[in-house]
Amino acid sequence: MSTAAATRPATKKASATRRIDWTKVASYLVLIVFAIIYLGPLLMLLNTALKTLPEFMKNATALPTTLRFENFADAWTKANFPRYLTNTMIYTASATIIYLITAVFVAFPIARGYVRGAGAILTLYVIALFLPVALIPQFQLMLGLGLYNSPVGYVMLFLINPIGVVILVNYVKTLPRELDEAAALDGCGYLRFVTTIVIPLIRPAIATVAVLHAIGIWNELILPTIYLTNKDFYPITRGMIVFQGVYGSNWPTLAAAVLIMTLPMVIIFLVLQRQIVSGLTSGAVKG
Amino acid sequence: MVNYHFGRGRARLAPYLLLLPGFLFYLVISLGPSIATAAYSFTDATGIKGAPVHFVGLENYREFLFMGQASRDNYDALLRTLIFCFFVTTIQFTLGLVMALIVNQKLKGVNFFRTIYFMPVILGAVIQGLIWSLFLYPMGGPMAQLIGLFGLESEFLGGQPAQAFAWVMFVQIWANMGITMMIFIAGLQTIPTELYEAARIDGASSWSVFRNVTWPLLTPVTNTNLLLNLIGSLQAWQLFLVLLGYRNGTQVLGYLIFAQGFGQTSGSVTSSFRQGYAAAASIVLFLLVLVIGLTAQTLLKRREERIIG
Amino acid sequence: MSKKLLTLISALVLLVMVLAACGGSAPAPVAPAASSGEAATTAPAAAPAGEKATLKVLVHQNPPMVEFMNTFNEKFQSKYPNITVDMSVVNANDLSTVTQTRLTANDVDVVDIFGFANAAQPYMKNVTPPNWQTLIDAGLLMDLTDQPFVKNYDEATIKDAGTYNDKVYAINLGRVSYSGIYYNQDLFDKYGVKVPTTWAELVAACETFRSNDVSCMTAGGKDGWPIFVGAYGLTGALYPDQAALVEGLWTGATKWNDDQALKMWEKMKVYTQDMMESGASGIAGDAAPGRFASGEVAMFPGGTWYAAAIDAAQPAFKWGYIPFPGSDNADDNKYLFGKYDQGWAVAANTPNKDAAMKYLAEFSDPANYQAFANAVGFIPTQPGATLDTAIGKAVAPFLANFRVGFEQYWVAPKGAGQYANPWASYFKPFGTFDDPKELADKVQADLQSGLDANK
Repeated sequence: MSTAAATRPATKKASATRRIDWTKVASYLVLIVFAIIYLGPLLMLLNTALKTLPEFMKNATALPTTLRFENFADAWTKANFPRYLTNTMIYTASATIIYLITAVFVAFPIARGYVRGAGAILTLYVIALFLPVALIPQFQLMLGLGLYNSPVGYVMLFLINPIGVVILVNYVKTLPRELDEAAALDGCGYLRFVTTIVIPLIRPAIATVAVLHAIGIWNELILPTIYLTNKDFYPITRGMIVFQGVYGSNWPTLAAAVLIMTLPMVIIFLVLQRQIVSGLTSGAVKG
Repeated sequence: MVNYHFGRGRARLAPYLLLLPGFLFYLVISLGPSIATAAYSFTDATGIKGAPVHFVGLENYREFLFMGQASRDNYDALLRTLIFCFFVTTIQFTLGLVMALIVNQKLKGVNFFRTIYFMPVILGAVIQGLIWSLFLYPMGGPMAQLIGLFGLESEFLGGQPAQAFAWVMFVQIWANMGITMMIFIAGLQTIPTELYEAARIDGASSWSVFRNVTWPLLTPVTNTNLLLNLIGSLQAWQLFLVLLGYRNGTQVLGYLIFAQGFGQTSGSVTSSFRQGYAAAASIVLFLLVLVIGLTAQTLLKRREERIIG
Repeated sequence: MSKKLLTLISALVLLVMVLAACGGSAPAPVAPAASSGEAATTAPAAAPAGEKATLKVLVHQNPPMVEFMNTFNEKFQSKYPNITVDMSVVNANDLSTVTQTRLTANDVDVVDIFGFANAAQPYMKNVTPPNWQTLIDAGLLMDLTDQPFVKNYDEATIKDAGTYNDKVYAINLGRVSYSGIYYNQDLFDKYGVKVPTTWAELVAACETFRSNDVSCMTAGGKDGWPIFVGAYGLTGALYPDQAALVEGLWTGATKWNDDQALKMWEKMKVYTQDMMESGASGIAGDAAPGRFASGEVAMFPGGTWYAAAIDAAQPAFKWGYIPFPGSDNADDNKYLFGKYDQGWAVAANTPNKDAAMKYLAEFSDPANYQAFANAVGFIPTQPGATLDTAIGKAVAPFLANFRVGFEQYWVAPKGAGQYANPWASYFKPFGTFDDPKELADKVQADLQSGLDANK
């Protein structure tokens, strides 16, 4: 199936011992080494979250003497998590869904050349990848449009993501053009073709873009600080600020808060990942 | 405008109408403010309502590029940006590809590993920074204890600028390798299994399968990944902020611009609202990224056409 | 198509420019769409006394301060039931940007204003004025000159940290000192070390600790600024008149590589390389108080603001606080250098002027102010108030000698290099320099380059 597994048929040396698949062994070795590099720091976060501050300062690495789940309770109440978490979920879900729909309808005709100046538009999107952050001008624009301090305006800020469009365009290019022709011959209209045939086919790319886009919204800190001043609209990142101080942070509580904050996103990713995998193994993409 | 199969006349408008919402959002919310930034760069704008704005011509550019030692410091930052970009792009790209190939095999538990490698991406820069500050805490943090076993000591992120800089590279790669890997996996999955089977029947070695089947067919995602890595590393600033702060000898352009735009260049609290100057600096970075990015894009496209046709 | 694209883009530019230009006449922010549950949102029209008003207050994140303000706001609201206080907290790093956006959006009434200090001086050529000056010049801050509560504060404070062009725009809430050293009482007792009053004594004390395998000093070296802020006392001891120092640097009368300065650099080298514990350069600024409170380090140079964090990390910990003995002459070491910390200012076009004035008047009430000073640990700026906490008692003997420090006066010339500051953090291991003379020359050259560029 894959390259590394597609080893040359083993040499015909008939040995009595069971053949060891060295590719497999090497693969696992690499996987485990990297898993340590990736998991180690994450476990340190968990370890810190279960300690008291003096305990942490005395010995940062040692395992906690007693598990301090209070840190989590503390984080949950202090940061007004339930409410902010709901807000974040609403922002993330609505912005991601609207973005994805609009992005597919931008990416597909560009990839196929179904609109005039497709190349120019694509170039504009590629240029957008390089564009400077324009925080203050963007703020002035949103203020002028009356979209300041409004959840609608806030969501609108996330309806653009040039990277996603570029990824989708590249992916659509791998779909055979004959597909369009065949669908059209069957009397399928453009809108229906894109929604019922193209979108399912490019599901892996959509899932990738969805995850990337959602992560960006979930973790955004500076935009809500500027655009949402009404506490009822705060996303979860805004609640995190309670734990930070310029002159002394309570690292254990901060770590606990961070864990609570990211947990939902991790779950969403796990669910979506299965989605990606199933979308892929269904073989829908095969030419 | 060849081969549009979905009707003529009014039906021909469908792709245009459906493209419009996304494109308009992009023009208004993203492109518009960026163009305004370009306009700001020729003024002494403060970004404050009611403050007078004067046209100052190229003065902001002169200050950023040619004025005193500060401009020479900016060139140092530019050089660091390029170094950062080079190492991060090459290493992250290669690692991402290798890991994608490994994870894409039929092995038990690959899903688990894949998820772990992607985890940092989910966390975002602020938390990545927190995690590594904890892990690299020099007074008895895990890494300090580990190297302590070998009788070594290090200040890690607080070490000499070159060392601190290298750590940021490391964390940047650690944090973003998952995306590169994921995009490669998506690409690998599009390669028809039959091709591999055919190659195996021909008795091709794994290397030649990779060289002749996988690599060429990965071209579109290779391009996406290279471009993303280039741009991501050229514009990087968040990890510098959360891991190092504004330290001499470590700043890259992206961070320099952020810090100056937000008045965080030193411990001083009397920062100033210098939107015009910050805009000029970000236009300079924009042009740099644009030149590198477009060059890469053109080269990659040419290669893609050569291979895929 | 590309022509059309061009037209579209230029139309867009126009639109953005128009919007940017007429920001003043922009419509008031839309009322929040979702129902807030409790608080009614601000009516855009002026709210005369007696009518319901929501007062929007912006502060930066400082845990003890925020805690105090929450209590204070509740008390205030029960006294004035028709006023609702809506206080938002932002990271200190974002305060200036959020002040900028919220004042522009008419979305704030009372703002936390930082670094209101000396304005750009006439001898400084071609410098950008500090933020607060820009805000006042743009007419965004209210003239508070005639408000009765202004009289509650020291005249000197109002003059130094609230007055611009003879009008009062801010009341300053307190001073902090940054040129002191926290010391660990137990360790000093254990090794029989006397609290140092001269540089030589400080060096000797460190030697005693080191020979007993105790780290002498710690600080949040990873962030850089705690190292140089910690050494401001060293600069202060050698240059007691910091305003004159700044003017001298601008006019060329003083140089960072002259004999006097070289002494300073040499001491800084000792401070960073012999006194600081190894590993200090990896400690984050917000972790340093905890490190000191762990009891393993004898001293911790830093500002009065750390006291709360030290106590939070280890409540039973016993510490003292002394001015940094940077000079060999004990008389030069009796000064505490510091700065005016945050203040309150009011948005010029607030629709809730009446409520805002009541708020500040209530805050400035001596009893409330005293409670505030105790909670936050500022050195009070009201004549009647005293700081009753441990840190307050520790600094009390030196308050008569309080001076505003270098960084409150200093505005760097444009084009000056990144080393144009008297910062101990340039030395290894925090920076890259090892030789005081070499560093001194680099600092002066970086400064000179800026001065020359603006001739």
